[in-house]
Parts: sequence; C-alpha cells; structure tokens
Amino acid sequence: MATVNMMTSGFSPAMAVPQMHGMGFEGMDTEVSTGTTIMATEFDGGVIIGADSRTTTGAYIANRVTDKLTKVTDYIYCCRSGSAADTQAVADIVKYHNDFHRMEMGEQPLVKTVAHMFKQLCYDYRDQLTAGIIVAGWDKRNGGQVYSIPISGMLQKMPFCTGGSGSTYIYGFVDSQFKPKMTKEESLQFVSKAVSLAINRDGSSGGIIRLAAISKDGVERFTLTGDQLPKFYEDS
Amino acid sequence: MSILSYNGAAIMAMKGKNCVAIAADRRFGIQAQTVSMDFDKVFEMGPNLFIGLPGLATDVQTVLARLKFRLNMYELRENRRIKPKTFMSMVSNLLYERRFGPYFVEPVIAGLDPKSGEPYIASMDLIGCPMETNDFVVSGTCSEQMYGMCESLWEPDLAPDDLFETISQALMNAFDRDAVSGWGAVVYIIEKDKVTKRMLKTRQD
Repeated sequence: MATVNMMTSGFSPAMAVPQMHGMGFEGMDTEVSTGTTIMATEFDGGVIIGADSRTTTGAYIANRVTDKLTKVTDYIYCCRSGSAADTQAVADIVKYHNDFHRMEMGEQPLVKTVAHMFKQLCYDYRDQLTAGIIVAGWDKRNGGQVYSIPISGMLQKMPFCTGGSGSTYIYGFVDSQFKPKMTKEESLQFVSKAVSLAINRDGSSGGIIRLAAISKDGVERFTLTGDQLPKFYEDS
Repeated sequence: MSILSYNGAAIMAMKGKNCVAIAADRRFGIQAQTVSMDFDKVFEMGPNLFIGLPGLATDVQTVLARLKFRLNMYELRENRRIKPKTFMSMVSNLLYERRFGPYFVEPVIAGLDPKSGEPYIASMDLIGCPMETNDFVVSGTCSEQMYGMCESLWEPDLAPDDLFETISQALMNAFDRDAVSGWGAVVYIIEKDKVTKRMLKTRQD
C-alpha cells in the first residue's frame, strides 16, 4: 500500500485512491487540463482577448462551456491554459494581491504590475506548476497591453499573443493577418477567426468561442456559439 | 497514451424493424492533432453486410485488406454470399490468430441475412471475443458515452427513418464529449432492398 506524500510534485488522484487505477477509470489518473487555444491582441484603444471553452480529463471532455477568461481586476483579465487547478489557484492568489494593492494605492493597478505578480508566482513555483497564462488589460498610463507568461515563468510584453495546445496550428495565420492599430471590430474578427481555425485542428480545443474587449469603458463580453463560429473550407 | 486511443474513433450499430444501421465518425487524427475529416471507418463487405473498424488507423487498413481477401476466397469457394454470423466468426478467427501480438482494432459488424433478411449486429474486442446483441453495439474511444446515449435513446422495432434519427443523435452527442473523435459522421441504413448512406453535419471541434 503506497503512502501518499502530499508534498511531491508528482501527486495524482490515482495515488490516493489505489483501487481506481487502471480499472476502467482512466480519467482518474490524468489531470484536468485546459488543453486549449487562448489569444490576446492590442487594438487602437484597448485589448481583445479570446479563448475556446473545452476542458479535458484525458480524452473525456469534462466541461464544454468553460470560461478561460478570468477577471483579475475591473480592467485586467487573464487567459488560462495548462492545468485547470494550477491556473485557477494562481489567478486567485493574484486577484487577492490586487485587491490589497488597490486598497493601499487607491487606484487601479497597472497591467504591468499584475503581469509581474503572475510572473513571480509562475517562476518561483515553476517546478510544481503547469500554467501558460496571457495577461491582458487596459490602464490609463499605457493603454491596452498584452503580456505573455509561458510555462516556465518568463514574462514578455507583445502586441499580440497566442497560447495553449491549439496555438501551434495558427502561428502562420496570426503572423500573416495581424496589423498594428486595428479597430475593435477588425480585432474581434481576427481573434475569432484564429481561435476557430485552431479549434478545427486541435482535439483539445473546442466548444464555443468566448471573447472580451477591454478598454477605458470597461469590459464587454461576447460569446460565439454553433453557427456563429467563423467557417472555412470544408469539403463535405 | 493508449494505443487504441492514438487515432480516435467512434462507431456504433443498432437493430431496427427489418433493418440495421451502422454509423461512424470521420476523423483521422494523430493524438490531439486532426489530420483529415474524411477518413472512412465503415466498409461494405457484401450488399447487406458492413463492418466498422475503430482503433489504430494502420491496423484498420491492414485488417480490412486481409479480411477482404479471406471473404473473396470464401465467396469463390462457396459460390454464394456470406451470412453475417459466419462473417463474424471469420473476423474473430483473424483477430485471434494474432492473440499475442494483436491488431489494435475492435470491430463492429452490421448486416442482414442474405436469404431471410433478418437483422444482425455484433462487436468484438481486439483479440476476437464476439458479442452478439439484440439492441445495439458500440466501439471506440468514447464507448462509455455511446453506451449512455444508446441505453437512453434506443427502443425496439424502430422503422428505418426513426432508426436513422436515433443512431445519429446517439453517436453525435457521444462523440461531442470526446476530444479525439468527431469531425463529421456517416450513417448507413441497411434495408432488404436498399442501403442509404447519409453524411451528418456535425460540430468541427
């Protein structure tokens, strides 16, 4: 009988419930993952963020209407990819730090500040976490900004960014279609087409497309379901 | 990574009143990546006899080729069409010959007896253990989801058009909860004098 050591980084539910392992309960020893497609882009006046809505445990789709666009402050959101538990935990901690920061400073934090808080957690605990996060938002000093924090905790400010398992299928598309200073409408089209293409090819991405536009006027959320998803060539 | 879920597939067959239906998804993928959406997994073995082959794609193609050869030899020697039950035994034998290094396919068979027109469905595991049922059979990466859907939706003596609706809904809602199957579906309704093949419009995710 294996003793369960809660401190090891390789903890999986199967160790705690030995009789579940390998008896048809395949979902018990694979982590819940937002194998996913996430994206953020600057536009003239703010940022657009977008994501698919699929969460998988192995090949089973545990949630087909997930919300991967998580609010951190009124003007700053993060897009989560990787382990669902890890990214939710990190986002909760950063949200807590920011509530505190806002009370101390009396004003909304800078996007750069929030991005650095995410980076510090993702870097310091890099051996225990599987988290790929995109931080995007608006502040009055620098307008719309996008910060990418991939798996091991580096931080990079970029005009636009994609992430998650589905992003590999759309590098060519986003590199060819991005233009600086697009309008809000053009950016929404850009993000929804890119996520739709990734969903089409990536098994770990799917469901509906969730979008949000963040600007000085706050956050506006959109959902694209079923036939509203952009369509491309299909031969049947 | 399980070998049987490397490519991903969802196939089921159902019995109706004097008819059978067999349906499959159309995805060919390599783990999470979808490579094509027009990969056939259901094959005609006789005018009223079909086999569905989910599992490792290379073995789907090899088993099909070897089975077709054996079937052709049978028809040349016997000078008649094979009965579905005999065909099931042929498939079972082919798979058990490889008991200790198996083909990674778990076939589903659906057909009508050539003389009496009686419906027949069966499935088997990768080493050829057959299972004949009177309602439905399922096989693939989302088999648990398919069992749930079939158990809820199937009822006995469905007419061909109702059987089409039932099998379509059961298959689609099952593979919509599986990350490695879907991307299109094909449904065959097999009656005594005609076979209708229909493509379903499905979510492409």
